[in-house]
Amino acid sequence: MDSNWQQSDGYRIVRDWMAARGIAPFDFQEKTWERYAKGYSGMVVAPTGFGKTYSVFLAVLIDFMNRPDAYGNGLKLVWITPLRSLAKDLAKAMQEAIDSIGLDWTVEVRHGDTDVKTRQRQSKQMPDVLLLTPESLHLLLAQKGRTQFFKSLQCIAIDEWHELMGSKRGVMMELALAYLKAQYKALRIWGISATIGNLDEAMEVLLPVAGKKVKIVAKEKKKIAIEPLFPDKVEVLPWAGHLGGALVHKVIPVILQSKSSIIFTNTRSQCEMWYQLLLEAYPDFAGQIALHHSSIDAPIRQWIEEALSEGRLKAVIATSSLDLGVDFKPVDTVIQVGSAKGVARFMQRAGRSGHSPNEVSKIYFVPTHSLELVEVAALKDAVKHNAIERREPMVLSFDVLVQFLVTIALGGGFLPAAMQKIIRQTFAFSYMTEEEWQQCILLITVGGEIGKNYEDFHKVVQREDGMLVVEKRRIGMLHRMNIGVIVSDAMMRVKFISGGYIGMVEEYFLSKLKKGDKFILAGRVLELVTIKEMTALVRASSGRAITPSWLGGRLPLSANLSHFLRQNLAMSVQHPVRQKELAFLQPLLLTQQQYSHIPAEDEFLVERIHTREGFHLFMYPFEGRLVHEVMAALVAFRISRLYPVSFSMAMNDYGFELFSDTELQLSEEELQLVLSREHLMEDVINSINATEMASRKFRDIAVISGMVVQNMYGKQKSNKSLQASAGLIFKVLEEYEPNHILLKQAYTEVFNQQLEEPRLIAAFERINASTIVYRISTKFTPLSFPIKVDSLRQSLSSEDLEKRILKMQEQSLKQTRNKNK
Amino acid sequence: MIIKQQEVFFGTAQFILTNQRALYWEAQQMLVLSDLHLGKAAHFRKNGIGLPMQLSVDDLERLATLIFFFEVRTVLIVGDMIHAGANNEVALFREFIARFPDKKFVLVKGNHDRIADSFLSELGISAVTDELVIEDIHFIHHPTGHHSGRYTVSGHLHPGVGLRMPTKKIMHFPCFVLSEHQLILPAFAKFTGTDTRSMPRPALCYAFYEAGIFEVKLS
Repeated sequence: MDSNWQQSDGYRIVRDWMAARGIAPFDFQEKTWERYAKGYSGMVVAPTGFGKTYSVFLAVLIDFMNRPDAYGNGLKLVWITPLRSLAKDLAKAMQEAIDSIGLDWTVEVRHGDTDVKTRQRQSKQMPDVLLLTPESLHLLLAQKGRTQFFKSLQCIAIDEWHELMGSKRGVMMELALAYLKAQYKALRIWGISATIGNLDEAMEVLLPVAGKKVKIVAKEKKKIAIEPLFPDKVEVLPWAGHLGGALVHKVIPVILQSKSSIIFTNTRSQCEMWYQLLLEAYPDFAGQIALHHSSIDAPIRQWIEEALSEGRLKAVIATSSLDLGVDFKPVDTVIQVGSAKGVARFMQRAGRSGHSPNEVSKIYFVPTHSLELVEVAALKDAVKHNAIERREPMVLSFDVLVQFLVTIALGGGFLPAAMQKIIRQTFAFSYMTEEEWQQCILLITVGGEIGKNYEDFHKVVQREDGMLVVEKRRIGMLHRMNIGVIVSDAMMRVKFISGGYIGMVEEYFLSKLKKGDKFILAGRVLELVTIKEMTALVRASSGRAITPSWLGGRLPLSANLSHFLRQNLAMSVQHPVRQKELAFLQPLLLTQQQYSHIPAEDEFLVERIHTREGFHLFMYPFEGRLVHEVMAALVAFRISRLYPVSFSMAMNDYGFELFSDTELQLSEEELQLVLSREHLMEDVINSINATEMASRKFRDIAVISGMVVQNMYGKQKSNKSLQASAGLIFKVLEEYEPNHILLKQAYTEVFNQQLEEPRLIAAFERINASTIVYRISTKFTPLSFPIKVDSLRQSLSSEDLEKRILKMQEQSLKQTRNKNK
Repeated sequence: MIIKQQEVFFGTAQFILTNQRALYWEAQQMLVLSDLHLGKAAHFRKNGIGLPMQLSVDDLERLATLIFFFEVRTVLIVGDMIHAGANNEVALFREFIARFPDKKFVLVKGNHDRIADSFLSELGISAVTDELVIEDIHFIHHPTGHHSGRYTVSGHLHPGVGLRMPTKKIMHFPCFVLSEHQLILPAFAKFTGTDTRSMPRPALCYAFYEAGIFEVKLS
């Protein structure tokens, strides 16, 4: 390290300040400070709890104290966090540090919940440090005064970059950074990230332009201990399921002996159910436990978070809503119910306990069905090998680009040629063609390719000086309301008829309820009284009630984890068994072995099972639900080319099932053919309904690009005459403008995300290199049973509309006939 | 364009429902439709959402084909003729009406039709009313819940029916909804969504698609 630099005032002041608080800087922090002072941009990689914030934040303070003249008045540091809830506590900690160091800087937060008065004051006089979300940064760029805001800006720090990258919010950041960097050449950009599988790429996405940049990786590592909870007997665990209720009595002692616990579940409904289960099993928990998920009203969540950090709660049952965020100091135990489905997510959750750098984070794992114990063994291996998933950056997301261009047009305008250069510099749009760029410009100026003669289209107009600007107030207002890329289902607020909000539930769920029906939210039984203006009015009730099954939330198994899962399953029959989870499962594994087979690492298992219902074909690629969905459709399609047969399909993370009521004598040779790598993508395209999948993807695209005006709860419904569903717009564009750039994006997203082409190809290559083990059984096996009971069935339908309608008519006639009986 | 027909009896009237979003009343030589939402796409364009002009052109072409096919004398629009104020798509309608000097165009007003009557008559609409009674049939835009034994024909809801496929997937079709005293028309405009919830029950739905019309019972 540069000894001159270590003599500098700024460095000495900060070092002394830390020493006074009994801490010494880590190497990675010192390195960040020094590089920042030398004008570098960069990315800091460190585990949670090691003072990542201090690395970049103190770097700016040190540099300022050494060169105060280089810093002008106003905003100096913009700090981006992915979560609003993080911003408040972070701002408090930063302000405390600044005050006790003795500087006169102010730190403030600005996002959707910031009151108008504060926002107006900020627009006039910016604080020295401003904490923003990607959305609120874009909102600032949409303001006429934007050049004023950023004139003294020295640094933008992007916290939790790994969370943003891989989503469209990451693309939003890339665009904003490229734009700001082009206006303010000396701007330093620093990302802060946890470990992910593709760190170098993460850095390239953040800092795509050559220049002084550095990646700083902390040597420190977080220690994690994984402790599965076993039932007394293996028979207690069901073969299939997702609740895990059988182990409630094992969880209670863990909670009791801890100071404070977080219990992570995978879905909101599982979260609600576990809250009820714990209260039933241990009524004394009343008042000491709470539940936390994204459908609970924000003020209640805030109260829970505060209670948790003050140690007033014994346990909080949460979903991914608590994955990120400030440390809750009293929390010393984390319990994970059901598979976490990925290594990164599991480690992140584990890290929510044991905060100080050298403490061990301990996480208890509660299996919801027997085979999940194999997943624990796999997780342990993955953690040991540090096999953390990659985050794939999104590219060519034209919906985000279109939104961004309108944002910039709104906040003072841009010159197209100069802007094109800036956009091309981002990672996301480095491969954008000239034609694609022109299409984006056409989209915002005349409404699309065929819109050249729409004289009535008004969005962005070209001024005489060549600048593209938004002139109409109403367009600007609509646009500001829709900035952002997080598209949620239409939600309704749930409110007591006597006053007080409880939370939010999908409109879709409430629409199925009748007045007087009871449902569970935030751990309470509520009775629906009436629905008024996107608000459901309820009163407290008791007795049996339905738990809303919120859509989404079912994440597929990650590729990293599936690799270790296959490995562990294969090892489970070799003696001696190394892992205690596998040892515990021996009876079950023996049943599998006896009825069928346990595939070795170089084997691929196919089971044919004949039951009274019909004929089942099970295959086990262990590639996660999404990949299985595509594989099942493909295999069904290929078999139907050999025999005229129709299937219904079911799948879970381990394998998939094809079910038919007609007998299927598939020979081993035919099976080889069906699983061939040849013509893979060609057959995939023929086997799926790409239009339907694209139409689903278009939902988000339409909202982000501004083609669908979101009707937000709580907002006046003055936009009613502009309501149209994305599905409807998709149909219209397919018919009238099939080359629309956003339609093409929908199809591209289907191929990149839904079909996961690289993973699919890798899977087929692996299967082709394996020995296929084809077993015939008359009973369901431990592997097949969970798939059989999975409710998410779908079927291959290559019939045309006419035939489908005939079938449905017959069915509806059957129904009415049955009723008349 | 394929026109499929389905006869139904309603009060003393005999109607022909079609899969092209309108019904024909032969005794009156009257084509009845609702929720034309003229100028909807243009309204979207004005607000920065690019949708093709061709949408309204196609709706009007479909209307013209129906007028020729049934040798219609009167076209009755049961409300929501204009989506939101005058624009150049609405102007298309003026040209359209001018093509049929010997036909009468009658409008029963809907909630979207907040435009001045003088403007409507200038477009070529020969009669504008809030409610119309012909024989024992009442035409009114907004379906009323309690119908005191009157036979009413309404629009407004954009009714549709979701049919469950063997695969648990649901397909939606626009439809006519027929109950004892009420007939609800589908939206004539193609660029409209469907409402599958607020329908009277029990009822008989006549759902349709490009090439056909079929019956679905709602209990």
